[in-house]
Amino acid sequence: MRNLLTFIIRNSSWLVAIILIVISFYLVFSYNSYQRSVYLTSANNVTGWLYETSNKVTNFIHLRKNNKFLLERNAQLEAELFALKNYLSDRQIDTLRTNAFLSDSIPVSQFSFIPAEVTNVSFSGPNNYITVNKGSEHGVRPDMGVVSQNGVVGVVLTVSPKFSVIIPIINPKFRLSGKLKNSSNTGSISWDGKNLNIAQIGELPKHEVFQPGDTVMTSFSRIFPRNIVIGYVIEQIPSKDDNFNTLNLRIATDFYSVRDILVIDDKFYDEQNQLENSIP
Amino acid sequence: MKAISILKEIILFVILVLLQVLLFNRIAVFGLAVPILYIYFLIKLPYGRNRFYVIISGFLLGLVIDIFLNTPGMNAAATTIVATLRTIILNLFYPKNEYEELVPNIHVSTSAFIKYTITMVLLHQTLLFFIEAFTLFNITSTLIRISSSLLLTIILILALDSLSIRKKKVSG
Repeated sequence: MRNLLTFIIRNSSWLVAIILIVISFYLVFSYNSYQRSVYLTSANNVTGWLYETSNKVTNFIHLRKNNKFLLERNAQLEAELFALKNYLSDRQIDTLRTNAFLSDSIPVSQFSFIPAEVTNVSFSGPNNYITVNKGSEHGVRPDMGVVSQNGVVGVVLTVSPKFSVIIPIINPKFRLSGKLKNSSNTGSISWDGKNLNIAQIGELPKHEVFQPGDTVMTSFSRIFPRNIVIGYVIEQIPSKDDNFNTLNLRIATDFYSVRDILVIDDKFYDEQNQLENSIP
Repeated sequence: MKAISILKEIILFVILVLLQVLLFNRIAVFGLAVPILYIYFLIKLPYGRNRFYVIISGFLLGLVIDIFLNTPGMNAAATTIVATLRTIILNLFYPKNEYEELVPNIHVSTSAFIKYTITMVLLHQTLLFFIEAFTLFNITSTLIRISSSLLLTIILILALDSLSIRKKKVSG
């Protein structure tokens, strides 16, 4: 017994080291259940505050560019609005017929958007995440989709009251079903960890016809509305499975410069979830 | 004397965490090399520092970095192991029984310091790589990334250390 005690005392620093190393590895391997906890991620208040402060500075630097981008976007929307107005006034000649088909109740729109600002992007390694400055206080919940002006960004992973962490397309753990614009066959979007601008779409049937530059969009998904742009086809690459094609695609969202994003709030998500889970 | 050096170490800790999180992790030279500089804290602890102190501060350092980077446990594990083996590595390159408050630096016995730094950084990054590889894929690109980060980190640490020494000499 005394020998054991002296042994423990003599080697106590090693014991402490071993205990701490075991704790660290526990954290590494219990990652999946762990990542839902807010306290040890960049969504907690202290880290979120730090990232937000540093972001205010960088945001100021980007103001001019963003302003220009908004102006361009505004011009584009104006043009669209003008075209639609024209179209509408054309149609007003047929008012009688059109009105006959209108329903008299105000339709509930399924999707609403929560605008948020990116406070931190990590893209130094393969485990990329994005932190944004809206959280559960603003109605953000895990598993909501996130888009930018250009296209799909990712999915909300964790939320705290004021911040949330998004798992973007450029994370190897991200999966999403997508399809080519002019077809109905779906494939699976993933990222191979090599290039921040290029993702892959796999499991596309062999007979699928495509051209470089074709648009890849979301197909039916629990998280995103249909037909949101994901990216544009670049080329075919060798796939692991001979029965399917794999394509490289250029991601529509530029992760180097993404600042403003929209979180998609699907009003029917809970209802659909409940219904699907009610099946025994 | 000791209280002052501990205060200095705490300041160094905070500065290195901020630098790592706000600056170095956003640098990716050629999209590959990411400097992992926070290990400089362990390198600069005094020679005769208590082992518990070294191990626990190493663990805390890694954990704080993990919390910021959303990589639970990875940096903490690697840094704790490096902290545990630090005394052994120090004894490899520095003669024993020098006075306890000696802070390893590039000015005194330059070649020993360079060898010591390279060993510490190499060990740390290799561990990080292997811990990441448990959850990872794509060995070749990771290897290129690791070796280029290694080179960049060592160069930055040596540069940083020679800078800080010059400042001290001027101020006395």
